[in-house]
Amino acid sequence: METTKRKFSIFNTGMYAILIVASCLVLIPTLWMVSTALKSNEEVMITPPKWIPDNPTFESFTRIWKDYPFLDYFLNSVFIVAVSTFITIAFAALAGYGASRFKFRGKGTFLSFLLVTQMFPSIMLLIPFYKVLKTFGLIDSHWGLIVVYIAFALPMCTWMMLGFFQGIPRELDEAAMIDGCSQIRTFVQIILPLSLPGIAATAIYSFLMGWNEYMFAFILVTTETMKTLPVGIGQLNGFYKVVWNDMMAASIISSLPLIVLFLFMQKYFISSLTAGAVKQ
Amino acid sequence: MLSSKSGLKGVWFILPAVVTLLVLITYPLIYGAYISFFDTNLITKWDFVGLKYYVDIFSNSEFLNRILLTLHYTFWVVVGHFIIGTGLALILNMKLKGITVFRVILILPWLFPEVVVGLLWKWLFNPMYGLFNAVLMNWGWIDDPVSWLGNEQTAFAAVIVVSIWKGFPMVMMLLLAGLQSIPEDVYEAAKIDGCTRSTAFRYVTLPALMPVMVVTLILDTVWWFKHFTMIWILTQGGPGNATNVVSIDIFKQAFDFFNFGKASAMAILVFFVCWLMGYGYRRLFGNGDD
Repeated sequence: METTKRKFSIFNTGMYAILIVASCLVLIPTLWMVSTALKSNEEVMITPPKWIPDNPTFESFTRIWKDYPFLDYFLNSVFIVAVSTFITIAFAALAGYGASRFKFRGKGTFLSFLLVTQMFPSIMLLIPFYKVLKTFGLIDSHWGLIVVYIAFALPMCTWMMLGFFQGIPRELDEAAMIDGCSQIRTFVQIILPLSLPGIAATAIYSFLMGWNEYMFAFILVTTETMKTLPVGIGQLNGFYKVVWNDMMAASIISSLPLIVLFLFMQKYFISSLTAGAVKQ
Repeated sequence: MLSSKSGLKGVWFILPAVVTLLVLITYPLIYGAYISFFDTNLITKWDFVGLKYYVDIFSNSEFLNRILLTLHYTFWVVVGHFIIGTGLALILNMKLKGITVFRVILILPWLFPEVVVGLLWKWLFNPMYGLFNAVLMNWGWIDDPVSWLGNEQTAFAAVIVVSIWKGFPMVMMLLLAGLQSIPEDVYEAAKIDGCTRSTAFRYVTLPALMPVMVVTLILDTVWWFKHFTMIWILTQGGPGNATNVVSIDIFKQAFDFFNFGKASAMAILVFFVCWLMGYGYRRLFGNGDD
């Protein structure tokens, strides 16, 4: 008994050691980002670099709002992501519910198509979208990007919602229908409130997609004040002068919404993601 | 209770999604294939060239080399993700104290936007003021600063390291969720049947985790095969062609050289490669029901 206990704690120590090393590999770059953002322009360019700045300053954090159209980038991203997430969730919830409760011709094809969309490179869509949006005058417009982000997030979100609805017993629907609810009322009043965690998780996925997307935003929007956050930050990586502390401050601010959102929702998110991706 | 009428109702529910996908995905895909047969600037010039671009692509080894480079990149990235992701998922699934803290920390890279990760590592690898060089010189491993991203030998490895750093949490999360869905009583039963920790892993954990692993493997491979943003930020495909993976090559072909037809033809071929990889994996490890 004694020996197994000791063996066990050596085993545990080993596990903690691995976790600590892995965490350091994650945290060192992250903390370096924070440290750089807190440095003054002169202190960024010191060799060897210092971990703790001598005169920590929030200059970078204030400068990005004043010297660059960072507020525009931020609000553009918020608008585009909010609208596209809202529409994606509405469509994905309807489709997920439909596919979980009914049998109809072409359902299998529909579900496989959702998976196939994950297979092709989004660059395949970039050229046709560029041409089509140009034809409709949607280049350099937020609506063009909203349309694109709906197309990207919808397939996976539908899978996630489907997985979630399958976990809600059908007896609930049947009871509601016996009580005289129409199909759509059953869905809106009985099932939707129960699926709020699933909706939250799906919304995070859609939010992440739109908030992070770079390539389409880079090509489809050209006016400075119309650009999204990733493109705006990306171009701080300028040709002649790179202001690393400002760039790191902008990076931190653009990452914060995702981190905060995720910390609150992680439980729902992970289970829904696997429900959608794995339980077919 | 599901009468034949309810079938029609089901169609109404999925209709918005179906229409959206037809208009926003199917149509652009077909249109992309159409573009690949034309020498075009997408506005005024539309010269039909038939299969010229496909013949072009196959008649020299350039594109094939890009595909091989991309496969090479994807292979190491996915291997890295699975070794780190599986290992950490198994540890995070144990009932250790304070495990939630580690779980949150280890998910961080996945939460940073790709542009942010690209810029952050570009800064870490900076030849003049970067942390990486400073630490290595401090330890005496190198004498002079190395331009990690400006050097054909190191740029490819650097890009792989960054991609592993960014992507392992996704694999870790999916596998962790898979592990947590294995019911505790299965392990109890295995213990009664005389399983030790390692045989239980071999005969209970692995088979139960297999479906999750296959799906994760397919998704991860395809995702990273078509990856664009971080490599674009880090190296733009350079130096030379050292990190010129297919998505970057297609992007440049289209928006630097305005060779839209050829870029479309390349994209179509990449789709087939992605599809083949998914198909191959399912044939190899598939559980038969899909």
